[in-house]
Amino acid sequence: MIELQNITKNYNISNAESILALNNISLTFKEGELIILKGASGSGKSTILSLIAGLQKPTSGEVIVDKKRISKLTDDFSSLYRRENIGFVFQKYNLIPNLSVKENIILPLIPNNIDENLLQTKLNKIMEKFNIEHKENILVKNLSGGEQQRVAIARAHINNPKIILADEPTANLDKVLSENFISILRELKNSNKTIIIATHDPIFFNLDIVDKTINIQNGQILLCS
Amino acid sequence: MFLTPEILTLQIVNFIFFSFATIAFFLSTKIFLKWDSTSSTQQQYKLEKQSYLASIIIKYILLFKIPLFIFFIFTLDKLSNIITGAMCAAGIVDATDYGSFLVIIKVINLYLFGFWLILHAKDIEKETLPYTKYKFGLFLFIYIIFTFEIFIELIMFNAIDIQQIVLCCGTLFSASSTSFISLIFDINPLIVISIFYLNFFFIVLFKILNQKELFALSNLLFILTSIVSLIVFFGTYIYELPTHHCPFCFLQKEYNYIGYAIYILLFIGTFNGIVSGFIKNNHKSMKNSLLFNFLYLLVVSAYPLIYFLNNGVWL
Repeated sequence: MIELQNITKNYNISNAESILALNNISLTFKEGELIILKGASGSGKSTILSLIAGLQKPTSGEVIVDKKRISKLTDDFSSLYRRENIGFVFQKYNLIPNLSVKENIILPLIPNNIDENLLQTKLNKIMEKFNIEHKENILVKNLSGGEQQRVAIARAHINNPKIILADEPTANLDKVLSENFISILRELKNSNKTIIIATHDPIFFNLDIVDKTINIQNGQILLCS
Repeated sequence: MFLTPEILTLQIVNFIFFSFATIAFFLSTKIFLKWDSTSSTQQQYKLEKQSYLASIIIKYILLFKIPLFIFFIFTLDKLSNIITGAMCAAGIVDATDYGSFLVIIKVINLYLFGFWLILHAKDIEKETLPYTKYKFGLFLFIYIIFTFEIFIELIMFNAIDIQQIVLCCGTLFSASSTSFISLIFDINPLIVISIFYLNFFFIVLFKILNQKELFALSNLLFILTSIVSLIVFFGTYIYELPTHHCPFCFLQKEYNYIGYAIYILLFIGTFNGIVSGFIKNNHKSMKNSLLFNFLYLLVVSAYPLIYFLNNGVWL
């Protein structure tokens, strides 16, 4: 269960100037739900994802995930929480171009010091799931956009996180690849992952797997359906 | 004030540390007064950010204070080449009314700083930051003593008169000394070392019995018994001179700088021991304390033993 309680987030540009990204919003997401956060650029969607991931702290208010007060964690505990609970898919994938597919995917597992055999088993399983096993040793900079995104999703998934956050995941994909992405989402949803997607791509708006669509404008919730 | 490169370095570093410590002091005051870990208000989030900054400042000042103390003693020792009559750091300490006082304050501060670092480590170990308010409260107290120390240090270096002849350590650490130090020479050395070894025995005993408060107390006493036994008994074997009792001369090259090792072992051992009385998971601290105190005991005990084995007599 994810709860955002009276969240306000200001970005200070200078001492005198600040941008109000979120204005006293409260939201609740249940386990296993697929939620779409929709709204124009700058509406506050990505800020919500960052707050849930513990990448940022709110100016006021509280983020609670499974009764844990995420917004009160120090950087070290925040990293630990992310490592164990969050898979993040970024708009531009944020892969390391000069590392291979395998190396990119296993990155989140490195701090866990996992046994080599177990690591390879996990890796094979995940690459097979996302249909990239034949690209294992290829540098990600040599992959197509769709393949890079599958690597990004595999990386987000390798830790078996409870929550998957995706920020504009189809922004750089054509229609066919976007549909591929949606079929991956279906699989993740079936495995009871909580998925939160920040997007303004209409492809998501009438999907049968979506539990909730939240419309955000200027840091406020316009509609929650 | 006469300025040697070492004094200049100390004063500049003190000034830098004092400036940063003052920033940390103001932040600590705010945190100490307004911290509420249960709150999720804008003020609390701001304090959390500021606590991170203040902790970093304090941590680095305190970490640098430990080598700086060694450098301070090294500076005093080096100054003894300039001041007429001084044979080692002891002469410089005694050259003004502030020297002894300053050394004592510096040692107390070292233990306080060390305690703050341990408290900080324990605080950030838990998600709830249980000791934040206490550690910044403690820093408010440390800041006052730290400021006092810097002030006294400035006055001390300013008060040293290079024209004035000072007493050498041979006079200062003897029964004929006019200071309180002469009192320790009234005690039989055999009693002094018996108390010293008995004190160590109690440290071991309280470790076995896991009596952390008594373990801390016996470590506190160990500082005293160690220094007294070092002056009265062990020092004479380091110098191989029955009349020389100075606790500073063995910091010099002639004695292979063994004094630094001796004092560092004593500091780490007793510090860990004292700290273990105040923290919950103290197994590691107690173990470290025992190890370093034992190493200290081995090093100082080796001198009389080697002397006896070489010469067949005691001093």
